[in-house]
Amino acid sequence: MSIYILRRLLGIVPTVLMITLVVFVMMRSVPGDPVVALLGDAYTEEDAIKARVAYGLDKPILVQYVIWLGRLVQGDWGTSVLSGRPVLKDVLVRLPVTLELIVLSMAVALAIAIPAAIIGAVKQNTWPDYTATTVAMIGVSIPEFFVGVLLLLAFSFGLGGLLPSSGWVYLPGTCPSMVCGVSLWGNMQHVLMPAIALGIGRAAILTRLLRTSMLEVIRTEYVTTARAKGVSERRIVLKHALKNALIPTVTVMGLQVGFLIGGAIVVETLFAMPGLGTFGIDAIFARDYQQVQGFALVTALAFVVINLLVDLTYTFLDPRIRYA
Amino acid sequence: MADGDGLPPSTGRVIRGGSAGEAELPSVGGLAWPAARDRSQSPFAQGLRRLRKNKIALVGAGIVALLLVVAAFADVLAPRSPITADQTRTFQRPSWEYPLGTDQLGRDMLSRIIHGTRVSLVVGVSSVLLALFLGVPIGLIAGYHGGRTDTVLMRAMDLILAFPIYLLAILLMVIFTPTAGLIGAVKVTGAIAIVRIPIYARLVRGSVLSIKEKEYIEACRALGTGSSSTLIRHILPNCMAPIIVTTTLGIATSIIVEATLSFLGLGTQPPTPSWGWDLKANISFIQANAWLSLFPGLAIFVTVLGFNLFGDGLRDALDPRLK
Repeated sequence: MSIYILRRLLGIVPTVLMITLVVFVMMRSVPGDPVVALLGDAYTEEDAIKARVAYGLDKPILVQYVIWLGRLVQGDWGTSVLSGRPVLKDVLVRLPVTLELIVLSMAVALAIAIPAAIIGAVKQNTWPDYTATTVAMIGVSIPEFFVGVLLLLAFSFGLGGLLPSSGWVYLPGTCPSMVCGVSLWGNMQHVLMPAIALGIGRAAILTRLLRTSMLEVIRTEYVTTARAKGVSERRIVLKHALKNALIPTVTVMGLQVGFLIGGAIVVETLFAMPGLGTFGIDAIFARDYQQVQGFALVTALAFVVINLLVDLTYTFLDPRIRYA
Repeated sequence: MADGDGLPPSTGRVIRGGSAGEAELPSVGGLAWPAARDRSQSPFAQGLRRLRKNKIALVGAGIVALLLVVAAFADVLAPRSPITADQTRTFQRPSWEYPLGTDQLGRDMLSRIIHGTRVSLVVGVSSVLLALFLGVPIGLIAGYHGGRTDTVLMRAMDLILAFPIYLLAILLMVIFTPTAGLIGAVKVTGAIAIVRIPIYARLVRGSVLSIKEKEYIEACRALGTGSSSTLIRHILPNCMAPIIVTTTLGIATSIIVEATLSFLGLGTQPPTPSWGWDLKANISFIQANAWLSLFPGLAIFVTVLGFNLFGDGLRDALDPRLK
């Protein structure tokens, strides 16, 4: 097992290198130049050349990548050409916001999906099942940003402004500067709608998948055996059916990470949250190479690490699965 | 794909990315068509018969057909020009004159939504078809020839799959530089197609790997049939069921990706009407004019729902084992 984990951890390195290299080359093929934006109205060809030399932008792309990589292994993620701030510092400030959003949205998804799928599977072809499957179908067909808009209309602009429509209040202990709002209650108010907007779609996908898996498991012989032994229905559903049905569900949850990252960009943009999603999209629009690189790196790392965790979860859910 | 190698066999049914329906498809299709119950009918005819009995799928098909008609006859159906601004009639509430109201430039929302159908459907359908035409041959060749060809092609596919899909689509759109009109739609189509190619390549490769071991393929080889003929005439038809289902459900996903790119300002640019863009552009005004974002959002929702319902029905009809 530990050899397997070590092998998988080593396997992360080429994937992350590949993603960051491709992003590096792609960003430099984008029309536009951060130096032009940096110098603004004061742009002269002479200053532009000086700035390019200062930021190493005059060198061939692959050389620039190797330099970036060399600094990265020393813990230096580079400095933004436009803001002059260290990229790592910005990433670390914004990461908790996005992590909170993603974790809560998955919690929302599971809180809806598990009961809905159990009801759907146990009461197959009855009205609770039809309700669950219909709502799930609506959920997979509705984009996150539209859910967000509906929530805004209901809870920010309707109902007397129950929840704030934009901005952010930090969790105690995560405030990056002296001037930010810090409060647990305020944070919950700000994160609730974005987490629901991002979670609803995942909830729908998981409900559909978990219901199908539960139906398969419920028909297996070991469930019949358990029933014959007189095991309670509650124990059969929760212990025998749900746990086995969770295996494909966990896989899909892992695979949803790519969509969650995209969803986070959209939801953070809609609710004006200071997370990694808005950081990444702003950096891409501003052609801020170093910030985009930092965003790509942290995204790629999150993606591969979560996929590894998903694979490791199988052994917990199904002890028959062993990694050599 | 970073997560592919370690998957246990019990999870082989799951494909990465896409909508829920796609996630439930088999990645390795042994027998692509269900076993024939009625020998007098072709599997496709049997599938169609099952599809006709599925009322929900027919509702989906109806929505899709209606949207196709709206897109084809947008110029006739739209009461006004979708791009002509009228500063004297901004923020009109829904009325007989303007059934869906007007936006901040006084443009008729109904006409914008009718014309927006074109961008959504054209990009949704053509991006999936482009991915299909590029991905299926890659999967066929990789699966059939194996060896180094397989390694090279599938590693290239893994490189694309290693990206979170939105990150890649956004970067591609930034490189392509979003523009208005047909060229703008072609760029979005290209970006979404590139992201989706590996889905087909993996799906088809998986099917080919099991089909090529069947006796009738061995018989083809024994008869001296060329490899391209074997691939196209004998292997491809047996991979068709999962391809058709993935395509229908893939259109739903592509429409959401297009709307999301437009929402982020990376889709087709104004003045070309696009639902995602309209929804985003009107957000600042929704407090007083809720309909401005509601109608484009509803349009996206209904379109995606139509393709999802139809796709689900197709899956049940063509591959009842997955029901």
